[in-house]
Amino acid sequence: MLSFILKRLFYGFLVLFGVITVVFLLFNVLPGDPARMMLGQRADIASIEAINRDLGRDRPLHIQYVNYLNDISPVSYHTLDDRSSTWYLNTENYDVAWQLEFGEASVLVLKRPYLRRSYQSQRKVSDILAEAIPLTALLAFVSIAIACFLGIIIGIISALYKDSVFDRLALVISVFGMSLPSFFAAILIAWLFAFLLADYTGLSMFGSLYSIDDFGEGAYLDLKNLILPAVTLGIRPLAIVVELTRNAFLDVLSQDYIRTAKAKGLNRFGIITRHAFKNALNPIISAVSGWFASLMAGAVFVEYVFDWKGLGVIMVDGLEQFDFPVVMGTLLFISVVLVLINILVDIIYGFLDPRVRLQ
Amino acid sequence: MKVLDIKNLHIKFQGDSSDFQAVKGLDLELLQGEIIGVVGESGSGKSVTALSIMRLLSSPPARVSADQMLFQYQETGAVDLLNITEKQMQKIRGRYMSMIFQEPMTSLNPVYRCGKQVAEILLRHKMVSRKNVKEKVMALFNEVLLPRPNDIYNAFPHQISGGQKQRVMIAMAIACNPKVLIADEPTTALDVTVQKSILNLLKNIREQYGISIIFISHDLGVIAEIAVRVVVMHNGLCVEKNTVHDIFRNPAHAYTKGLIACRPDMQRRLRRLPMVSDFNDASPLASASLKKVLSDEVSAEERQKWHQKIYSQPPILKVEKIGKSFEITKKAFSWRSGKFQALKDISFEVYPGETLGLVGESGCGKTTLGRTLLRLIEPSYGRIYYQEKDVTKLNSRQLRKLRKDIQIIFQDPYASLNPRITIGHAVSEPMEVHRPDLSAGQRKQKVIELLEKVGLDASFYNRYPHEFSGGQRQRIVIARTLSLNPKFIICDESVSALDVSIQAQVLNLLNKLKNEFAFTYIFISHDLSVVKFLADRIIIMKDGQIVEVGEADNLYKNPSHPYTKQLIDAIPKGL
Repeated sequence: MLSFILKRLFYGFLVLFGVITVVFLLFNVLPGDPARMMLGQRADIASIEAINRDLGRDRPLHIQYVNYLNDISPVSYHTLDDRSSTWYLNTENYDVAWQLEFGEASVLVLKRPYLRRSYQSQRKVSDILAEAIPLTALLAFVSIAIACFLGIIIGIISALYKDSVFDRLALVISVFGMSLPSFFAAILIAWLFAFLLADYTGLSMFGSLYSIDDFGEGAYLDLKNLILPAVTLGIRPLAIVVELTRNAFLDVLSQDYIRTAKAKGLNRFGIITRHAFKNALNPIISAVSGWFASLMAGAVFVEYVFDWKGLGVIMVDGLEQFDFPVVMGTLLFISVVLVLINILVDIIYGFLDPRVRLQ
Repeated sequence: MKVLDIKNLHIKFQGDSSDFQAVKGLDLELLQGEIIGVVGESGSGKSVTALSIMRLLSSPPARVSADQMLFQYQETGAVDLLNITEKQMQKIRGRYMSMIFQEPMTSLNPVYRCGKQVAEILLRHKMVSRKNVKEKVMALFNEVLLPRPNDIYNAFPHQISGGQKQRVMIAMAIACNPKVLIADEPTTALDVTVQKSILNLLKNIREQYGISIIFISHDLGVIAEIAVRVVVMHNGLCVEKNTVHDIFRNPAHAYTKGLIACRPDMQRRLRRLPMVSDFNDASPLASASLKKVLSDEVSAEERQKWHQKIYSQPPILKVEKIGKSFEITKKAFSWRSGKFQALKDISFEVYPGETLGLVGESGCGKTTLGRTLLRLIEPSYGRIYYQEKDVTKLNSRQLRKLRKDIQIIFQDPYASLNPRITIGHAVSEPMEVHRPDLSAGQRKQKVIELLEKVGLDASFYNRYPHEFSGGQRQRIVIARTLSLNPKFIICDESVSALDVSIQAQVLNLLNKLKNEFAFTYIFISHDLSVVKFLADRIIIMKDGQIVEVGEADNLYKNPSHPYTKQLIDAIPKGL
């Protein structure tokens, strides 16, 4: 098990490395100049060159690449003497936990990964992410929770009363839910509940978790803004969970050990809760975790429509403005989440199904 | 006293277009403390009857009706099982009436520990308090002779062997000291030696607790080991009902006679096994030919002559000290992995035209050995020579040619045919790969020839596997094997999944094809009686090693190794 986890972590590391390399190359191959984006159309050559030097963009590509890797690695090498060098250990940027000086002015540093600063706002990318991540995580978590709770219940009822009116209705609706594009659903739901029915629901079409009070009281928590995006985002996972639960249950209910459970004299409730449920959970877990991971990856459209200031919005804005550090930081974070969730799911499998543990 | 009294039982399955009548008017009575055997081939309605008594058939599609199905579950009174509510039935199931199923592998819930699953039935029927339940389960495990009951209590089903799983099932079934125990083919999936111990266990349980047992099997030999009275079922009807003794001495019905005769006889070596269908026809002509079949033995001299002939040739296949070990991970959270030695220093030779039997219990390495010969599994060490060529050194192109010459027929005829491919296509597919010189028309011609050769109709060409029975499917697989004109065929448990009556048909077919095409066979099976019918020589394997090799009849008559004796002893003898 331990070797399995370490192996998976190693593969995850390779994935991250691949993501960094590909995105780095893409940003340097694509046309577009961050300096121009920052200074506008009329900038003079001198200031553009100054900015490029600041960003280290005047150096050869491979140096930039190694430099970037050095910045995001927790263990890194820096210099202490030349302030203008991109290797200079600037404590405004680096959160140093421990350092080892050697040679004349070299230092080996243990630090928090430095994701650089946004080209646009000059803020640290880690700070930008720190604001956006809780928003997206909350949104993803709530919508997955809705999907699981409702989905498993509906799925089980569908399986138990197979071919009943309820079952058929659930199937039709879930097919509909699965094929509904999220940007369309988002607009539709926003229009319906926050415009047409706004008087009854009291919901607004846009709004993030925190609203700014108009009378100078500062930001305050506005939980009701969570409802519409979470529901919209939950539609598709809900549909999938319904289908999966139903199929997994039908499969499990036809197994021999369910017949054994019946032959023991257990009642229906005992058979379903004790013998069927745990066996049916595996496919549901893998689907749900996959969805959770991809929702964390930013439900771009839904966040955009509802103006929810999460990862998706940040990434799209960053792409538009050629803000390489922001895009890269977001992608890195998403990749790490995906890798970790996958490993976590494999461990959960082992707990649910003892047969998986040995392999 | 009659514990169970069923009169005129009908079971119908409603289909979309037509109904299927699985049981047509069965009468069955079970006395206190007796073991009654129900025998019949698959589809005869015996399992369905058992499930209907437990009310485990889901309705729809099943419709069960009977004049009465009285169950005397308490001294005071009987109930009609068909007239009580589901809630009442739940109180009877597991408490007064329990069941053991055919497949111990899948009948236990894979995600719970064995002990917990047995404890559950005790708690459900409030036989013991939660505090004492573990103690009681351990006592049951001791009762069913499980080794290391404490380990098994905490083991998951996949961690213990098939025989042990069946013992756990039996422990579960007798936990509440029921009146009736229904055993539905409880030993069919198990090795003969394990089968014998399970049969003994059931007999002891009956003696000790006075439980009445309904024992269902397709094998009369097994029934004879355990039951006193026998009910013979065929096509949903009881065709004969008598004591075991009378059934074997004076079978009245043609079907019963066929069932008794089609099991390979250990004493005599018939040229052709009689089949159930041989007995159905009562015309003088048919009975004359039946007589001929029953008296047509292969004499000792004939065999000697044949053996002189084949053993004077150089061997076609020579195996020199091959071995195979598999890596296994021992524990979760552990770096170390262990090695499992599946084959140890195996050496033997096969001569052209010979049938070599390979016998051993599951896990002895016989299947691994069969696959190693074709390098479907790579041997860890050792040499294999096929017609003087070293198989272990062949490159992939030469290997493909070898696999055209040597073919394997696998155990499960259900799993080895792709359900989406027609029979004709399945049989012609190997030719498409290995014989690109043939035109489509020629291939089709050849397929039809082969289908007829294995006793199937040419009109099956465009049909799909699900339309065929197990025996027919195994014939299709054989036809597919023959399509490449192989010289050498490895049969890996090819008849083990089949009923005895169908087994006889397939064995006859294999024998006939051998005479016709002069094949060399390696016949792998756990069933010594089947192997003995076909084989010239037999190899007995245990724990990855060869323990005995000998001429088939000789080995059976004078086994030298104690393990061989044990195997022979475990074969159900009938009467």
